[in-house]
Amino acid sequence: MNLVTKTNKYYLVFFVLLFPLMVATDFYLIRYFVSKEVDDILRHESERIIFSLKEKGAFLPSNYLFEINPLKEDSSVLNKYRDTLIYEDYANKFIPYRTYEFTTQVDSQKVRVSIHHILLEMNELVVWLFVATSLIILLLITGLFFINQVIYKWTWKPFFKNLSKVTNYDITKKNPVSLEVSNISEFQELNKIVTGLMNQVKKDFHNLKEFNENIAHEIQTPLAIIRNKMVLLLESQNLSKKELQWVKAVYQEANKLSKIGKSLTLISRIENQEFRRLNSVDIHTIVDNIVGNMEEMIQFKNLTIKVKLYPVKVKCDLILANILFTNLIKNAVQHNQEGGFIEMLLNEEKFEIINTGAISSIETAQLFNRFQRGNKVTTSLGLGLAINQKICEMYGFRLNYDLHENKHKLSLYFNTRCAF
Amino acid sequence: MKILVIEDNVELLKDIKNFLDEQGNVCEIAPNYQSAYMKAVIFPYDILVVDITLPDGTGLDIIKEVKKENIDVGIIIISAKNAVGDKVNGLEVGADDYLTKPFYLVELNARIKALYRRKVYKGSKEILFNEIRIKPGSYEVFVNNRLMNLTKKEFDIIHFFVANKNRLLTKEAIAEHLWGDHIEMVDSFNFIYTHLANLRKKITKFGGNDYIKSIYSVGYKFSE
Repeated sequence: MNLVTKTNKYYLVFFVLLFPLMVATDFYLIRYFVSKEVDDILRHESERIIFSLKEKGAFLPSNYLFEINPLKEDSSVLNKYRDTLIYEDYANKFIPYRTYEFTTQVDSQKVRVSIHHILLEMNELVVWLFVATSLIILLLITGLFFINQVIYKWTWKPFFKNLSKVTNYDITKKNPVSLEVSNISEFQELNKIVTGLMNQVKKDFHNLKEFNENIAHEIQTPLAIIRNKMVLLLESQNLSKKELQWVKAVYQEANKLSKIGKSLTLISRIENQEFRRLNSVDIHTIVDNIVGNMEEMIQFKNLTIKVKLYPVKVKCDLILANILFTNLIKNAVQHNQEGGFIEMLLNEEKFEIINTGAISSIETAQLFNRFQRGNKVTTSLGLGLAINQKICEMYGFRLNYDLHENKHKLSLYFNTRCAF
Repeated sequence: MKILVIEDNVELLKDIKNFLDEQGNVCEIAPNYQSAYMKAVIFPYDILVVDITLPDGTGLDIIKEVKKENIDVGIIIISAKNAVGDKVNGLEVGADDYLTKPFYLVELNARIKALYRRKVYKGSKEILFNEIRIKPGSYEVFVNNRLMNLTKKEFDIIHFFVANKNRLLTKEAIAEHLWGDHIEMVDSFNFIYTHLANLRKKITKFGGNDYIKSIYSVGYKFSE
């Protein structure tokens, strides 16, 4: 949910909750003041009547319908207001009145006087006042709502611009992101923090890259020297059998180390997106070449090979494509059994390779992890499929492993976006 | 053949120089950009072996300078950077070949010889070793002037052997030569073993001597 919708949602919720409350308060306030006004009128009238009784000893003519009831001398009743319904003949129904009852003296006789004020127009007044104010409240709220939208869009503009800039930020690109300047202090602070973070990430990224490059350079050269010296030792021919074993072990381990280094460097280079060339790669030719290169090995292992290739072009880096397909085909040859078979299919949608071979003890999900080896073949590093996985991630290819009738089936689905 | 090796690691430099000297070359060395530039521009060499990373510059600049001066020399880059960009850049500025560190000295040697042959003899030169005659241009091998029927890999093996005669070729080095850098195959040693046996059989059948000797169990040597 984006910011506007979220804000609007809260706005709406508060509005729905608050509006009845406001309207109710409005209604009761209006009614209170209107009835207070009526009460004031009635009290005023009662004072006029009492005054006139005192001074002239007679009731005044009054617009306010009133009735007089004699009271017993000793009884004392308080003055009070109340709402009554009085039956009016002309309307043939009860009409609401406000009544004020008070006690006074007429010729030393205590009397109870009630005066009435009709409430008809008052109720109407209340209703109209209520409607008018409610409408004003409603207008105010909707107006505020739309004004808010405009203000919101205007003030958050730098934020949204920066957001898309940060989203499109590519760490491997050299040019830095210049964030939109704003005079809002929170945004300024955010910009400062984001810029700081980006610089830090960039620095770390470059450090990591440098570290990788250094590893590659600084380790490989000593390894080359170790290897050369071991060959010299082996060539010297003066070694005892035991010494020979030691030298051989060092030589082999140095080789392994160098291969691990090369493979890990390759993986991190793929992760760093250093292969960014998008050639239109002819997969058909690549597969053909690789099969050609392994042809004698395939013969050597007595493998039957069935290849069905359609010309397919995929947009990716030529070198990575070579590594990917070499790994796939190599695995099918390497993990095959004597006299087994390999079946390859290449079409617009996918590359499929089915081969016989011992069943792996590794879970399918772990197959693509680093250093997972299927048949405990120690000379294999277990990095091939991890590299493949990285390459696939980069181009949005999908690599799928299936065990079908005791045959291994690896399917590589090309991204529809890339394949054509 | 006169070779200049430009490499900042002195120990590796010594290894390369010793190896190439023993092959009958005149090998000079330069551990940094300054001395490398001086030597490469002043003295005539057949082959330059150039490391990209140097303490005071980059090997790419040396190649550019050499190309600017129009010096006719074969150039092989040796680099630990294993970066595709490096390889592309290197070949673009005019290098002829590219080797990733760590490389096998026998591989470097074979590449130097192949490059030299391409440069000087345009690939037409035959390689002679007693009764064995190799025509690299047409992938043909003759023993006692009789053409042997070899597979592609068998040809690669014998070519590699003859280029590195009297040197120990480890199985790893042969495997990498045959299949390239990123393929480590479990069966490759068996494959090499079997094909070497075939090769021996074929050569002796044609009246040739068996020059391939197994050294301990680590590799083979091609020698008289």
